[in-house]
Amino acid sequence: MARRDRVPPAGDEEIDFHVEMQTKRYIAEGMSPVAARAKALRRLGDLDPARLASRAIALEMETAMLRSARWSSLMQDTRFAARVLRGSPLFTLTALITLAIGIGAAAAIFAVVNAVMLRDLPYPHASRTMMIWNSYQQEGLEHAAVAPEEFADLTARVQAFDRLAALRPQVTTLTGACSTGADCEPERLNAYVVSPGLFDLLGVGPALGRTFTEADGVSGAPRVVMLTDGLWRRRFGGDPAIIGRAITLGGVTREVIGVMSAGIRFPDEPIGYLKQRPDAWIPVNWEAVRDGRGNQYLEVLARLRPDAGPSAAQANLDAIAEDFRTRFPDRYAPPTVQWRLATLPLRDEMFGDVRPALLLLFGAVGCVLLIACANVANLTVARGTTRRRELAVRAALGAGRGRLVQQLMIETVLLTAAGALLGLGVAELALRSAVALNPGNVPGLDQARVDVFVILFAAGLALLSGVLVGLPPALGQSHADPQPGLADGARGVGTSVARQRVRGSLVVAEVALAVIVLVGAGLLVRSFVAMARVDTGFDASSTMTAHLTLPRASYTPGARAVAFHQALIERLSALPGVARASGVYPLPMSDDSWSGTIVIEGRDQTPGLPPAHAEYAVAYPGYFGTMGIRLVEGREFGPEDAAGSQLAGIVDTEFVRTYWPGESGLGKRISTFGNASTGPWTTIVGVVEHVRNRGARAAGEPQFYFSALQKPEYGMTFVVRANVDPASLAPAIRTAVRELDPALPIASLVPMDAVVARFTARERFNVVLFTVFGLVALALAGVGLYGVLASLVSQRTREIGIRLALGGRPAHLVRRVMSEGLVLAAIGLTLGIAAAAALSRFIATLLFAIEPLDPLTYAAIAVLVLAVSLAASYWPARRATLVDPVTVLRGL
Amino acid sequence: MPTFPQGTLDLMVLRTLSLGPRHGYGIARWIEQTTDDALAVEEGALYPALHRLQRRGWIKARWARSELKKDIKLYELTAAGRAELRRRTADWTALAAAMGKVLKARP
Repeated sequence: MARRDRVPPAGDEEIDFHVEMQTKRYIAEGMSPVAARAKALRRLGDLDPARLASRAIALEMETAMLRSARWSSLMQDTRFAARVLRGSPLFTLTALITLAIGIGAAAAIFAVVNAVMLRDLPYPHASRTMMIWNSYQQEGLEHAAVAPEEFADLTARVQAFDRLAALRPQVTTLTGACSTGADCEPERLNAYVVSPGLFDLLGVGPALGRTFTEADGVSGAPRVVMLTDGLWRRRFGGDPAIIGRAITLGGVTREVIGVMSAGIRFPDEPIGYLKQRPDAWIPVNWEAVRDGRGNQYLEVLARLRPDAGPSAAQANLDAIAEDFRTRFPDRYAPPTVQWRLATLPLRDEMFGDVRPALLLLFGAVGCVLLIACANVANLTVARGTTRRRELAVRAALGAGRGRLVQQLMIETVLLTAAGALLGLGVAELALRSAVALNPGNVPGLDQARVDVFVILFAAGLALLSGVLVGLPPALGQSHADPQPGLADGARGVGTSVARQRVRGSLVVAEVALAVIVLVGAGLLVRSFVAMARVDTGFDASSTMTAHLTLPRASYTPGARAVAFHQALIERLSALPGVARASGVYPLPMSDDSWSGTIVIEGRDQTPGLPPAHAEYAVAYPGYFGTMGIRLVEGREFGPEDAAGSQLAGIVDTEFVRTYWPGESGLGKRISTFGNASTGPWTTIVGVVEHVRNRGARAAGEPQFYFSALQKPEYGMTFVVRANVDPASLAPAIRTAVRELDPALPIASLVPMDAVVARFTARERFNVVLFTVFGLVALALAGVGLYGVLASLVSQRTREIGIRLALGGRPAHLVRRVMSEGLVLAAIGLTLGIAAAAALSRFIATLLFAIEPLDPLTYAAIAVLVLAVSLAASYWPARRATLVDPVTVLRGL
Repeated sequence: MPTFPQGTLDLMVLRTLSLGPRHGYGIARWIEQTTDDALAVEEGALYPALHRLQRRGWIKARWARSELKKDIKLYELTAAGRAELRRRTADWTALAAAMGKVLKARP
């Protein structure tokens, strides 16, 4: 066999060879050896300049040759490794599955992190785009919207920003015009009313037509609209002639002036209270809309000047805020409200609050991957015992240590690469189920897919885990002195003590890592349960909700809308399977919520105190009974609370506690949005239980309700309490609506518990993923423990056989083996608990009503891990007692 | 023994290798034997020439076990070398014919 891995001194060997051959020739021609050699050397002459000249060239050539030799040995080793792996299918399969799970989970979470945290926003100016909020630290409202008057002031005074834009949602109905006659059903649209400069601010442009200009927002200008690519294709068949056509939105005719580039549906991810992606945009110059400072409904975007940083922007806003305080001390100055103007990057607003959870998931998945690597390393070490003969033979045949290490490393990298390939499949599946699990409120999740970054990431993981898995056992095995390896053959005990120690520490690490993930999962599960236990104030079970918005054009005046609603409630109540029906707006825990300042009769509005503020809603008679909201005092709305009679209101217990502590709320009067305390007054006729509108995490503000009979609303959510499965009522509800107005689209038909579930969807997402990862980690660690003990038993078959033959009791043997396993598990458990406790502060922000060091969770995880370790140790121990002493003794 | 002009050694090496792989000594011996020892290939010229040809990509080398049981470099022609050999052979033949005409011409 040719030796290829050695560089001879350039040229010299070749020339020595030449001289030698030449000498032989002269001897053959009859010269004496001495004369022959002298002549050969003479002929050679002075070779030094030639040697020097050729040395550089030679070196270059040698390197190239060596490289190709390395490559061919690499290919040879790769083919060999593939053969070896095919030769032990059980090992290969186990390792592949383990690695596929580990790498797949990591790649899937990386895909989500990539989509949510690393991906660029699709707006050219995104990096300079900030948002501006009213921040009320006292009330925990850090990101409150901005009133039009405030927006006008900001527009006039900002210096650190070169452009401002505001927007608010407007749900509307598209009627008439469409490309094909068949699709002309009315359609509910999410539109946004935006500053004309919004798209310039973001740096995005139209695919067709034009974007808005400042002239479009002015009152009295022709009414125009921009469509999203999706709406244009869906409704108008992608017809380019759409530009200049008139469409009817909410009964108002608007000319289509542009279609936005595909992929832009601003806001593409939720910002502030804007949760929905739009279908169309309508322009208004918000700074000219003067409807006070109390009604804060605008989300404000601002683009930093190229020469200004975020801190300059904040300083600019602080100065403006100071001016606000001077001009309107009642509103902004009271120390109790702790008001200020805040600004943060758009990106943080869109994705900021999922970041901690994602990083934790990433950490959890990293633990799972490490466990998987440890497991495969364990398998490799175990296999090392049986492969020692093969390696010893190869070493005896002249394979160097480097070559053996190369061989073993290639084997593991081949394994991890195949594992990564399978892992990408796992990741794809995992992403699909994650998207299915998520009802749309983890921003960006639907963008997560296995793309080139994820593939590169998986390739990196394959390489990394290849090194993690392969290097320690490879270095250990290649030491193998051929002599003992060949001599003790299959019985090999050899260095098994050292090997057991390596495997033992791997198992300890696995258990510790699993404990960390499990503690995280346990804490999340506990806090999820705690959240579910919080009393929301209403009963979501067996309740169906249906939302619809009446078009103003055909239901003016408001009394017509009220008449329609009443007729619909009557029909819904009469449906088979329905116990009661009523209507409310906004629905608890829905995307919309109303709040505003109020005046309370007899309560002085002292300067320096924040004005009274509350959430409110309109409700039809029977709403509280239908929703299961407990009536504490007084009565529900009735038919008597209709237009023309005294305005009736119902407040919640929180309202009474805040504004009339120790008194009854009945007969008290409040007024909304009035600047003076002159009314019109609404008289309180009932007090109901407080409803947690923003889910379990926030207690929420005081609440009051108007009678919907007296305050006509075009958008209304109907709630139906059913005796049957609420979802089964959907067709009947549709029919009831169609019978009353065939042109009316139902915006949503959702059981109430699904509405509530959406509020906890993110928590459920975290819980499910963490739990899955925790269980996978536990299973892998259990398998690792089992594997170590099983091979321990099989290696000690002789010892065990002798013990049994000498009268050792099987029970004693079981205890011995099991205690070895339990010692490993206990060390891992202790280390894991300590590490989990140290890391738990990172999970604190995700917890609800549970301490990061919650003793119950840690105890439960300890018990779980010990139970699994017991099971994993028991079976190998049992096997030990089945050793037949006679066979063993005969084998000696 | 006559020596020969610069450039002709390269051509002879390429020609020699076109018959199959050889080591340095083999190349020298083949040329000497073929010319009935009329031409002596000097080692001081041969080895630099081999490196030169290698660098131009006309020949390549690999290690092999020699008849003296030593590792020795075997040189062989590359495809580029074969093309170069064809070109130079044509040039040389044309030049030799022209030289012959000049030398044999009568006034």
